[in-house]
Amino acid sequence: MVMRKLLRNPLSLIGLVLLFGFVIIAIFAPWIAPTPEAYKDEPYRVPRYGWGSAPAPPSEEHPMGLTQGKYDIFYGIIWGTRTAFQVGLIVIGCSCAIGVLIGSVSAYIGGKFDEIVMRFVDVFMSFPFLIAAIVITAVLGRGLDKVIIALILFRWTGYARLIRGNVLQVKQDEYVMAARAAGVSHLAILLKHIIPNTIFPVLIQASMNMGSIVVTAATLSFLGLGAPEGYADWGQMISFARNWVLGSPGDPLKYWYTVVWPGLAIILFVLSWNLIGDAFRDIMDPRIQG
Amino acid sequence: MLTYITRRLLFLPVVLIGVTLMVFVVMSFLSPYQLVSAYIKSPEELKNQSLDDLVRKYGLDLPPHIRYVNWMRNLLKGDLGYSVSANMRVTEAIAQRFPATIELAMFSIIPVIFGGIWLGTISAKHYNKPLDHISRTFAIIGWSLPDFVFGLLMLMFFYGVLGWFPPGRLSNWADTVVLTGDFVRYTKMNTIDSLLNGRMDIFWDAVRHLVAPIITLSYLWWAFLLRITRSSMLEVLNKDYVRTARAKGLGERTVINRHVRRNAMIPVATVSGSMVLGLLGGVVIVETVFDYKGIGLLTATGAQQLDYTLILGTTLFYGLLLVLTNLAVDMFYAVIDPRVRLE
Repeated sequence: MVMRKLLRNPLSLIGLVLLFGFVIIAIFAPWIAPTPEAYKDEPYRVPRYGWGSAPAPPSEEHPMGLTQGKYDIFYGIIWGTRTAFQVGLIVIGCSCAIGVLIGSVSAYIGGKFDEIVMRFVDVFMSFPFLIAAIVITAVLGRGLDKVIIALILFRWTGYARLIRGNVLQVKQDEYVMAARAAGVSHLAILLKHIIPNTIFPVLIQASMNMGSIVVTAATLSFLGLGAPEGYADWGQMISFARNWVLGSPGDPLKYWYTVVWPGLAIILFVLSWNLIGDAFRDIMDPRIQG
Repeated sequence: MLTYITRRLLFLPVVLIGVTLMVFVVMSFLSPYQLVSAYIKSPEELKNQSLDDLVRKYGLDLPPHIRYVNWMRNLLKGDLGYSVSANMRVTEAIAQRFPATIELAMFSIIPVIFGGIWLGTISAKHYNKPLDHISRTFAIIGWSLPDFVFGLLMLMFFYGVLGWFPPGRLSNWADTVVLTGDFVRYTKMNTIDSLLNGRMDIFWDAVRHLVAPIITLSYLWWAFLLRITRSSMLEVLNKDYVRTARAKGLGERTVINRHVRRNAMIPVATVSGSMVLGLLGGVVIVETVFDYKGIGLLTATGAQQLDYTLILGTTLFYGLLLVLTNLAVDMFYAVIDPRVRLE
């Protein structure tokens, strides 16, 4: 039902097509951009062609050109798609699991315990996500894995709060009462009855956060806190472009390819999630239909 | 209203303790040796003492709860340590950079609020008509443009190609004027100071440098606010009291302005808190892209050079700022929605 509506809306259809494209690129990366012999062991390392730092324009062998440090842009974008999905899925998966666990247990137990957990969540949520991520990554000491940890640390609270509200509503429902009267253990009630009935909105919310998570991770890479140099990562490709956006005297657009291609990759990726998310929200929110 | 404000103010210390505790927990991930820099007051101190002495001197080998109390005592004295990357005390660095950020943020909020709310209203009034589709598509695209990409593109076209909006805060010649001679820096915000000094040339130079960062910082929140305003307007438009207002024979303009928009602003006020959070985060990127010397750039360089003193100091400062803005948002909320006050 939902799927049919998504397919009928032109905007969400574009989103789905784009997303499908990215999935295909991620899966078939080794065929689209084959790893050169010399780099076989580390496919995520972007190959360099030549010396010196100045970028080189698109050519036959390098359809999108070479960026600062002579890294191949096309290769970086194709394999960077995998990085983007990996970061997004790991962060969303882990923070969702933690959030659902803490939020539902907190709501199920209720009382003082719930109160304390929620104040804790409040403190986490009162901080700007990006700045928190910058601080944690810097303190842990740079790297893509540190970025992932930092993002999880400040992302789970949103899901915890969301599922808590749902669990509080469901907790008093008859089927939960019935299960309890039948002597089902608390753990089983939580896992088999409550969570399956409350997790759906969380999953929707989580999937809609994919875009913003990937942007935040890319931002950290852009600031030089993320992936090590040469790793296939969109944010880093754009940070390479920083020194070249102004071109050279007399030819301001000389190095356009260093920023346009990786920029386009990020924009389209985020756009696809946002288009789907936006349509989803309209479908799921009956209040504004009419 | 007064009791509401007092209640919020009483809650303030609790939040502040929460924020300081969080920063403290983050700090405890660092070794005492890394932390020493957060305590020393000038580089001279490092010259004739070993690190171990300093660790002992500042009690970094003591148990956590005692360290927390000591650290808080330092904070209350307004001491945040010495930053290596900025080459000055953290409090000094913040005092020096903060006016620039305030200037940027202040000018950015204006287009965000007016643009977002106005476009959202238009979008809702023309629900499902071409105008609505155009502004929504614009919003979705805006919402999907990462600010660092957008900023670089702005720099490429408006400075690289057209030469209109240069990066930085002021041109070299203007910088010289501001820093020397009889130019009085009342607020350290260039636009305001130049007006107070009656220097229109410097005012225009400052504005020229501000345009691109402001657009970059604000468009995302424009788009965000447009979306919120639109959906909450649509919801209110279906309410009975709106139908009543129309049935009374009120003009469309009055209905929208007096009955719909005022009620539709409530969810907008709710998100303004998260908007402030986002703007503060955005400042880091925008200032980095445009080499605009404010707090955000300070934080970013601090983080790149792993200057913990600076990172922790600015984080605390952000925390304080947030607490205060949240307070302001809450009050704003109470002003537009009388029901909140009665809770």
